[in-house]
Amino acid sequence: MENKTIITSYLVREFLPDVRTDELESDYDLLAGGVIDSLALLRVVDWITTEFDLSIDDLDLSPDNFRSVDNISALVASAKS
Amino acid sequence: MTETITGAVERHAATRPADPALHWQGAEVTYGELAEAMRAAAAGVAGLAPGPVGVCAKKSPQAIAFVLGCLRAGRTVVLPSPTLPAETLTELFERAGAGTVVTAADLEQATTGDHQAEVHSDDNAFMLTTSGSTGVPKLVPLAVGGIERFTGWVHDEFDVGPGRRVLNYSPLNFDLCLFEIWSTLRRGGCVVLVDPEIAADGGALLDLLATTEPHVVQAVPLFYQLVADAADARGAELTLPSVEHVIFTGDAMTPARLPRLRALFPSTRMHNIYGCTETNDSFRYELRDGDEERTALPLGRPLPGVHADLVSDGAILTGPGTGELVVRTPFQSPGYHNSSAGDGAFGDHPVRRDGHRHFRTGDLVRRDEHGELSLAGRADFRVKVRGQQVYLQHVEEVLLGSADVLEAVAIAVPDEHAGKRLHVVVRRRDDSRLNSLVLRKYLAERLPPAAIPSTLSIGVDPLPRTSTGKVDRQHLVLMSEKR
Repeated sequence: MENKTIITSYLVREFLPDVRTDELESDYDLLAGGVIDSLALLRVVDWITTEFDLSIDDLDLSPDNFRSVDNISALVASAKS
Repeated sequence: MTETITGAVERHAATRPADPALHWQGAEVTYGELAEAMRAAAAGVAGLAPGPVGVCAKKSPQAIAFVLGCLRAGRTVVLPSPTLPAETLTELFERAGAGTVVTAADLEQATTGDHQAEVHSDDNAFMLTTSGSTGVPKLVPLAVGGIERFTGWVHDEFDVGPGRRVLNYSPLNFDLCLFEIWSTLRRGGCVVLVDPEIAADGGALLDLLATTEPHVVQAVPLFYQLVADAADARGAELTLPSVEHVIFTGDAMTPARLPRLRALFPSTRMHNIYGCTETNDSFRYELRDGDEERTALPLGRPLPGVHADLVSDGAILTGPGTGELVVRTPFQSPGYHNSSAGDGAFGDHPVRRDGHRHFRTGDLVRRDEHGELSLAGRADFRVKVRGQQVYLQHVEEVLLGSADVLEAVAIAVPDEHAGKRLHVVVRRRDDSRLNSLVLRKYLAERLPPAAIPSTLSIGVDPLPRTSTGKVDRQHLVLMSEKR
């Protein structure tokens, strides 16, 4: 499965129970809309390290990297490379 | 001497006996008929145990004649919501000292009798109840003099005299009836009673407005929404030109809905009226073109004789800012009746100490740089979320500004991590595709980050309401804690 799909289904499952995965656009601003707040951010980081087998040291934790599915996916890609 | 409502009904019956007093289910009750029913009820009431009389009945001409009969017999009428739990009602009637409680089923027998009507008079005409959604409501006595002054204001401002028709949407126990029913009967107009059976049926309400052609309509915003939706469903370009005054009260009107109402009521002036059971109405704002651009309607000016201050941190606020509204009105209650909590919010002015009895409303009011006042929310609806002040009412106003949202409530829910989290409950339009993604995006464009809710619950069912028709916040808080 593509990373974007994996990330989208995780976000929908965890934070958007009333939404279908195809409704979450990959450029939707997750921070402005409050889908991911500061507490949720910690959970997302924790999930990324487990799901993609990454160390937290590999990740650039600036909030902008978590703003959208596209950005999270790019963060994962750059950490894996 | 102050004229009473019952004295006025007698006078109307003597001078204009065939004039309509009530319109009910397609028929009219004349002042002659109403006065006769009132006298019969008064004779029956004279035989009841002395003291206040409890009335636990839905709205009907019989119920109104019975209330008038009690007033004529000099009795205080205790009018709680008939939908309260039986135990609460028993406790309320006991606390009010009501020796007799009359229910809808008793009205037939209670409205006849041959007792000599005793002519003594209680100082209080009515005892209504507060709308608290927890515990037993407080009893709010309303004195004859205050009611008479109020009917004077209603008549001066809106003309509810002979030849005029006034819609009554609210249930019989609501303070709004002081305007719609009791002021109209006092001044000689005709009350168009909305049968509680059709209160949620927009099509039936629309038909009633079209056939009875009232001049004055006062109701909660929900009423106007039901009527406008029904008019839209009919498709035709239906208008209600008889209405000269449309009054929004009891809840915040969403300005974005005004253009639709202006089209439906082409000849009307529109008013936003603010008040509470304890003080009756205290502010009025007459709407102007362009108000639909606002996020909320202002309070406007105090009614004649009303004194109002904004009090913040023990001082009277004179410039822009937000403070609790403290008022004194010519119509206010003398104070809670037999309340274990004492005087509660009634008392000397917290700053002026001028010896006049004031009422701390518990409402936060904002004064802007132009001196305009608007409601910022209940003092207890100002919450701290993640260390920042959030006005729940403002969040609700923004939610209601969305065309897909029918009802909305914002509440602060205890949270194990954040202390408090902001939760909103929304009833969306059946035909809309609103979900939390769409709504979050909409909110993010209009609210500061702290006011973006942590959790949202979006459904199509009506929100739960308390016995006085306000959204039951306590219930929603409990529901969302359970998740």
